[in-house]
Amino acid sequence: MAKDIAAEAAVNWRWVKLIYKQGTLIPLFASIIAGSLIIAPVLIVLSRSLTTARLGTFVGLTGENYVRVFTDPKLLPMLWNSLIYAAGSATIGTVLGGLLAWILARTNTPGKALVELMPLYPILMPPIMKNIAWILLLAPKAGILNNLLIEYFGVQGPVFNAFSMAAMIWVFGLACVPLGYLFLLPVFLSFDPSLEESAYIAGSKPIHTALRITFPLAIPAFLSALVLNFLRGLRSFETPVLQGSPAGIQVFVSRVYDAMSVDYNPGLGTAYSTVLVALSILVLLFYTRITRFSERYATITGKGYRVKAIDIGKWKYVTFLVVFSYFLVGIVIPFLVLIVVSLIPYYDFETFMKFPANMVLTNFYRVMRHPSFVTGLYNSLTLSVTIAVITVLMGIVMAFTMYRTRTYGTKIFEFIGTLPLAFPPLVLSLGLVIVFLGTPLYNTLWALGLGLFVAYFPYALRNASGSIVNIHRELDEAAWVHGARWRHVFFKITLPILKPSVAGAFFYIFIEAIRNIDVAVLLSAPGHEYGPVTLFEYFRVGQWAEAAAGGVIYLLILIVAVSVAKFVFQVKLSL
Amino acid sequence: MAILRVEGLVKSYKDSRALDDVSFEFDSGILSVLGPSGCGKTTLLRCIAGLEIPDEGSIHIADKAQTSISKGIFVPPYSRAIGFVFQNYALWPHMTVHHNVAFGLKLQKLAADEIRRRVQSTLELVGLRDYEGRYPSQLSGGQQQRVALARSIVMEPRLILLDEPLSNLDAKLREEMRVELRKLIKQVGISAVYVTHDQEEAFVISDTVVVMDRGKILQYAPPDEIYNNPANQFVASFIGRAAVVDGTLLRVEGEDCFVQVREFNNATLMCQKPKNAISGQDCKVVIRTAEVKLDSGRLNDKGNVLEGLMLSREYRGGLTDHRILVGSKEIVVTSHKLCPMIHIEDGRERIYLYIEKSAISVIAEPRPSTPRLAEF
Repeated sequence: MAKDIAAEAAVNWRWVKLIYKQGTLIPLFASIIAGSLIIAPVLIVLSRSLTTARLGTFVGLTGENYVRVFTDPKLLPMLWNSLIYAAGSATIGTVLGGLLAWILARTNTPGKALVELMPLYPILMPPIMKNIAWILLLAPKAGILNNLLIEYFGVQGPVFNAFSMAAMIWVFGLACVPLGYLFLLPVFLSFDPSLEESAYIAGSKPIHTALRITFPLAIPAFLSALVLNFLRGLRSFETPVLQGSPAGIQVFVSRVYDAMSVDYNPGLGTAYSTVLVALSILVLLFYTRITRFSERYATITGKGYRVKAIDIGKWKYVTFLVVFSYFLVGIVIPFLVLIVVSLIPYYDFETFMKFPANMVLTNFYRVMRHPSFVTGLYNSLTLSVTIAVITVLMGIVMAFTMYRTRTYGTKIFEFIGTLPLAFPPLVLSLGLVIVFLGTPLYNTLWALGLGLFVAYFPYALRNASGSIVNIHRELDEAAWVHGARWRHVFFKITLPILKPSVAGAFFYIFIEAIRNIDVAVLLSAPGHEYGPVTLFEYFRVGQWAEAAAGGVIYLLILIVAVSVAKFVFQVKLSL
Repeated sequence: MAILRVEGLVKSYKDSRALDDVSFEFDSGILSVLGPSGCGKTTLLRCIAGLEIPDEGSIHIADKAQTSISKGIFVPPYSRAIGFVFQNYALWPHMTVHHNVAFGLKLQKLAADEIRRRVQSTLELVGLRDYEGRYPSQLSGGQQQRVALARSIVMEPRLILLDEPLSNLDAKLREEMRVELRKLIKQVGISAVYVTHDQEEAFVISDTVVVMDRGKILQYAPPDEIYNNPANQFVASFIGRAAVVDGTLLRVEGEDCFVQVREFNNATLMCQKPKNAISGQDCKVVIRTAEVKLDSGRLNDKGNVLEGLMLSREYRGGLTDHRILVGSKEIVVTSHKLCPMIHIEDGRERIYLYIEKSAISVIAEPRPSTPRLAEF
């Protein structure tokens, strides 16, 4: 009898739980759907790499692709290239970025305000534009700098080669500067001044103090930025494909791309991808260890010290030179080259030198009449707005499910949300290509939209989780007891309170998505072009002036987006 | 009809029991749930609101089952028609005072002028009529607290739950607000469950007090009974400054009884007889030290007189703590005036304690004492 009652109670107890959860079933389902969208391409890449069957058929598992990968005589040079490229550009970028951060935060260098807008540069200058600008500058035969040197300084033959490892490292290194700067600036700004003051009292001069005290204490943050930049190098697409492949310099990402675009062998592509993903996961693990290490580095506290600028004497002319050169080389010259080339009838050195006498808008007319560019522009605009809205909303719904409803599996959602970080965007889109092949979704904007969603979801989720855990739980509970259901809590409490960070995440994802190439390149198709990919194709077939004109159009869109974000929504945008 | 009936409530967390078979019934008025932090009082309140699901037991509001584990009933918090005032007020920062108060009414889809009328009259009641357009961040702590209260009472709930609503205010404001709060709740005429760890607050505000410790209800009684007849040692020491010693019940004479206290050099005290007194039985003797009078000389008094050694005087302004050794027990007596220092022998100061029998409670059949109780 007593046993029966206990059994009955247990059964009913499950029922109670179910009823309770019904109020929050919808967000749970939404999160599960989002989670499966993300996990599908990841699993596909892994399973596909184990078969040589043609897509749509299945003939069992085989290690053949891996045998091919590991017996490829070019594997070791490729690994070596990938590491040199990533490490070289990460080092250049992080050192320069850190140096600029120190100059801005701690020295009396004249004109240091030039670097203060640093967080905006990478937003306004998408990776492909940098590549276009630097190829125009450094190309061995047609490049502006080589021709200038030959014509005016009597140099024999080209000095620079845009299609070399050195140029790849140079261009991507410059792209790594902002991250180094943004990681190290807070360190130098929140530095306990007494650490330096005690060195002065011990008789150390300012520059000596900087070298012996300030810089060593910034090492953990420096390492974090370095490793993150290294990871970005491993994942980067534009530079290896545009500058490496023409010279036969292969890295993993460009090999995956060739496996799809030249050989059309998804099995092989996925096998190379798996090796690349394994490498990325190693770097990510290393990164989390470093951040833990730097948290233990206790000298730099959260206290808001007001640091003062140090008079570094005659050294300030050296630092001024650093700031000014970076400003010129890193920002002004690439922008100018792009704009000038977009305004001349076609690109060669002579025509370039006649500017501004030969200024025309024909390139703009031409790209704006080119159906594939117009469709691409339209698609990129609409799709990136839509994807930004959906991604941000889903990020909040999942974070809401994880932290605000009584559902299990919070850890799983967290894992799913961060999973795409280990997967270079090109690999994710490869997975989606395989998923959609043979379905009606293949070669549609839906596939492309899904690819962008998967690529940017981790950012939206991290952003939303970070904000939601900061909202006091009682604010939700107060709504519950005053008659609100989950939809009221979500739309009337959570979402409005999250508004600032929602706006920030929206603009960030919009800006990233509208200029995306590495997800879109495999998923866009004739009739469903994506603007940045169209520019990428122009450039590969030598229509440099048109590519520059298209680039300038995107530049204008980005300037408008950044201004709206900054002045209308008061969003602080960075990276 | 009982507004609230709680039966056999059990709630366990990973390594602790927050509620351990809690049962009580509460008709109407204001009920305080009093106990130290971690005693389970907030968990109890959250279970009543439906924010937590107990492991076992049932909760009835106005005789309707809200939670019943055995019957599989669980009414979600949004359907319970109760008010809840949170410790941190939990005012929504993105809404004005008006919108905070109107939130629940809007969800009920009432007409706009009905909502406006009710919001305005409620804000009038709490004295915040002129603050309707302000945001919570523009209000003082006391004003925020009143908005939180208005947000709950505007719904005209059957029952309002308050979770330490005054604990974030400074001491002076807290004393004002507890009087005002009682007046307001009485004026609106709803029943309230009020959670607090402050016994003075509980006594001022409520009609009935529940004392809790470690998930169990120790006593359920009106304030004066809790104070005068604490059910056990824990209640006695939690309620006010009290010295608790072990004693033996020697004999009963009419309404009085005599208790021998070993720690006081086997001195005998005359006290009021506890309900179920048996001679020879062990008991706890609770002396409310605030009612003890001190004198440096021995008066001819028939009442209880104990002799002690003054250890120190701690002057606190209006009050002075006198630390006195009686037998082997150190007790602290607080009085309004500093006890003069006269009777000194061999550098030791002798003092006499006069204790009315009404200042002593005898608790028969003491529960086995536990390490935590010994801290008090």
